[in-house]
Amino acid sequence: MDEKMPGAISMVRRRCGRSVPYPPRGLTGALTIASKEGSELLMNQRGLLWLLVTCLVLSAFALLLVSDTELGLLDNAQVVYDMVGLVISLGALLTLVVGADAIGGEQDRGSLVPLLLAPLPRSALLLGKLGGQLVAWTAMLIIALPYLWAVGSTGQNLAAGIACLILLGTPIVLMFGCLGLALGAKFLSARSALTVGLVVLILAASPAMLGPGLRQTAIGVAVDWVNPFSAILNAVDAVVIDSEPALTQTTPFAVAFAWLLLALWYARRTVSRLTGSPQ
Amino acid sequence: MSVVSIAAAFLLAAGLSGGSASAAAAEPLKIELIPSPSNPSAPRIGDALMFRSVIRNDGQKAISGVIAWVSLLEVDPGKEHPVDLEDWSAQKAVVLAQIASGQTAETKWHLRLIQSGKYWISVVAASTADAVDRISGPVASPSVAFTVASKPVVETGRVLPIASGVPLAIGALLLWRGARGRRRRPTPKDAGG
Repeated sequence: MDEKMPGAISMVRRRCGRSVPYPPRGLTGALTIASKEGSELLMNQRGLLWLLVTCLVLSAFALLLVSDTELGLLDNAQVVYDMVGLVISLGALLTLVVGADAIGGEQDRGSLVPLLLAPLPRSALLLGKLGGQLVAWTAMLIIALPYLWAVGSTGQNLAAGIACLILLGTPIVLMFGCLGLALGAKFLSARSALTVGLVVLILAASPAMLGPGLRQTAIGVAVDWVNPFSAILNAVDAVVIDSEPALTQTTPFAVAFAWLLLALWYARRTVSRLTGSPQ
Repeated sequence: MSVVSIAAAFLLAAGLSGGSASAAAAEPLKIELIPSPSNPSAPRIGDALMFRSVIRNDGQKAISGVIAWVSLLEVDPGKEHPVDLEDWSAQKAVVLAQIASGQTAETKWHLRLIQSGKYWISVVAASTADAVDRISGPVASPSVAFTVASKPVVETGRVLPIASGVPLAIGALLLWRGARGRRRRPTPKDAGG
């Protein structure tokens, strides 16, 4: 039976070493692909490199805090806010790259057509690829926890900051994953998808680099309203720094969730139209 | 003390309404600012302070639309300037619908200490109602002075083990996976059998 299976599925079945029904359907197929993507990101040597880079960035930031006198005097809540923003930005970058590679990279490596020939609904393919991104984001969250504890446990609102990171960060991170995936499916090239996706990411994440003064102008306020990154950062600011209850941040969450749904719709549309050849 | 700080001190001590004796006599609003007894005696960065303001209407008529807000002034020599309350407090102002003649309105103000230094805090109130058009400007409470001591909040003893340990652990895992992968990879000799 294995010899007749499309390559990706049979490879997954062999690698997972467990019984995967053939032909895989719906959720089973999605889980199969998610487990393959996740294992490639976490167990593969090249895949582990991104985890190391994430650690190094977080370590550099943490060391900067203890080595710089001015930064070392920052309030704990401010430090937690900065680190939460950094982790969300890194997560969005990670899922964008993984998303762009999910379809565009398969095409570049010549493995997209065998994947499309697998008896899998396109929705299962999409869910599986997004599942892989969720595994990667979860790993990044786990890596970030000790850093957040190290810089923020002597102050207040650390738990609220972690809750914000999970509840508010996940929609925005997955949104960029969906965007990367959709662009990869649209252009059938990881490089093109990544170029466009990075431009969008930099534009969206610009509030993380702008001071509060610039964001108080009319354009800044308008951008804050529609930009999911701004909405999330404002919500994290309100919860972690101003000690407002996390449950009051429904509007920013709704903005981020709406953007996630939009990106998901776009990804589903482009993946469902995949033929394996440039359109 | 510089000229700016002396001027600021004068304004705050006298209250913004204290420009002239006649104007002061006409002010129906009086404000008192009382620090909470639970405030730390030697506050440091990260501590929280609480103040209670009591706004009293000594006039003959009710005053409506009273807006009260916190004014924080840094008075360290060479750094005299009003402080942007961003990050210090989520509670920037309150609007009191009406204060009847002879009545008082109490408000609690919470402040989180973000930066070290010497500060003066006061509460300022103004009314937008027509009934108090004769008030020439906002009314301020006498200021309360406090000093915030610095505190290095990020502890080196916690950060260093994490910042060096986690990358080392991931790096070791990477090397182990690489060594394992090299051992498993068949050599041309193996392939030739």
